[in-house]
Amino acid sequence: MRRTLMSLPSRLLASARQFSTNSDKIVASVLFERLPVVVPKIDPVVYAFQEFSFRWQQQYSRRYPDEFLNKSNSRAQGEYQMEYVPAPRITEADKANDRKSLNRALDRRLYLLLYGKLHGSSDDKPVWHFPQKVYDTEDTLRKCAETALQSVLGDLSHTYFVGNAPMGHLVVQPAEKAPDHGYKQFFFKSQVIATNKFKIGKCQDFVWVTKDELLEFFPEQAEFFNKMIIS
Amino acid sequence: MFRIARTKTLESLAHQFVQRCAVSGTAKGKAKLKDGPKKRMKVSTKKGGKGAVDPDPSARPTSRQDQEKYKLYEQCINAPTPVRYLKPKDMKREAEREKLGLESKDRKREKEILKKGGRQAMGVPDEPLMMGTPGFDLISLGLVDADKIPKYELTVEDGRRLAKEYSRVLMRKHRARQAAETNLLRMKKEAIEALPEKLKQAALVPDLTPFPKERFMATLTPPIEGYIDKVKEAAMRSSGAQKIR
Repeated sequence: MRRTLMSLPSRLLASARQFSTNSDKIVASVLFERLPVVVPKIDPVVYAFQEFSFRWQQQYSRRYPDEFLNKSNSRAQGEYQMEYVPAPRITEADKANDRKSLNRALDRRLYLLLYGKLHGSSDDKPVWHFPQKVYDTEDTLRKCAETALQSVLGDLSHTYFVGNAPMGHLVVQPAEKAPDHGYKQFFFKSQVIATNKFKIGKCQDFVWVTKDELLEFFPEQAEFFNKMIIS
Repeated sequence: MFRIARTKTLESLAHQFVQRCAVSGTAKGKAKLKDGPKKRMKVSTKKGGKGAVDPDPSARPTSRQDQEKYKLYEQCINAPTPVRYLKPKDMKREAEREKLGLESKDRKREKEILKKGGRQAMGVPDEPLMMGTPGFDLISLGLVDADKIPKYELTVEDGRRLAKEYSRVLMRKHRARQAAETNLLRMKKEAIEALPEKLKQAALVPDLTPFPKERFMATLTPPIEGYIDKVKEAAMRSSGAQKIR
């Protein structure tokens, strides 16, 4: 009897402790990504095989006379004369390593990171974080994420949120100093649509980083981000 | 090279395909001979028949036109290839016929091509070709590192080796991508599970709004600012010139 009486309150306490850290706060954060603008580089082995197979097929394909193929008709009629010099794939922002510009790694994805104060445990120290907002009383968590991004960008005309569901979650354990400040962080995916420059407000600093640089910013959660972000 | 002698071609084809009986030296299968080659040469014989029958007042110009037409047909039907392809059985047969002293037209043409310089002369060089339109080929655009391309010749063994490496690289990438996508899906499911009930129901609703039409695919080179205005201007100029007429 005593044992059961003793065990009951401890169980209640334990469950109470679980509730206090888990159901307390839900934070919706946004992974704002700029999709690649340029086709990725081709592996030299793949290029070599394609070139070889093209030449090998050329060896065995028949050569037909030009009049039969109507070569003169198929040539495109020059409607208007224009000079086309293709833009280089490595831009000046690449060479200068300017992390604030969106023109940087054009064949990779870029993600937005902000530097500022979080609502969370240590209110005085600014920290690198994703745009986020604590969930209050909106309809869905996606709307909460949208307001978070709106507060940073100003308006959402050049964003596209992918789906209603989050793409991953992190359970942030409470620190020793502030035992109540544990929360669950849910990541929402949204993409940049049709623009080159953004006015990022509401923070001290911001960067657009590739996946490798992102892993440098978050060394403890590197494994988690490795799985969540593909490239 | 292509002489127009229609009846002769028929006979030579028949000569190629008929089998002589070992004892009597006569043709083995006359029935086949009747229908087979004639069916194949139906095009030329019909046209030949028409040309011959057609009562044209000015005979010579039409026959010259006809000659050019038939020359074109001949070139198309017997279009050459830089390297002749033969299966092993055909190669053995060719060797046997060489011993007997018979030589087919294809073999003759192959020898002439080899005399002129082989496939190098006909446009298949030993050096790697440039892939892509000149000026925008993949190497000068920066899509491939020219120094990292492996060296190879145009032989069967090199081709097999390249194919193995190509398959290995692509399969590795494919498997990595599949694993990454599985991970993504799993993490999404876990995240949805971790939500409280009301938010979970909201997250499980599929979002069927269409994708934004401004979301562009990756292109070969990055977009140039102000290029669309130049294009519009040039189009206006050319269409304006047409209207003046």
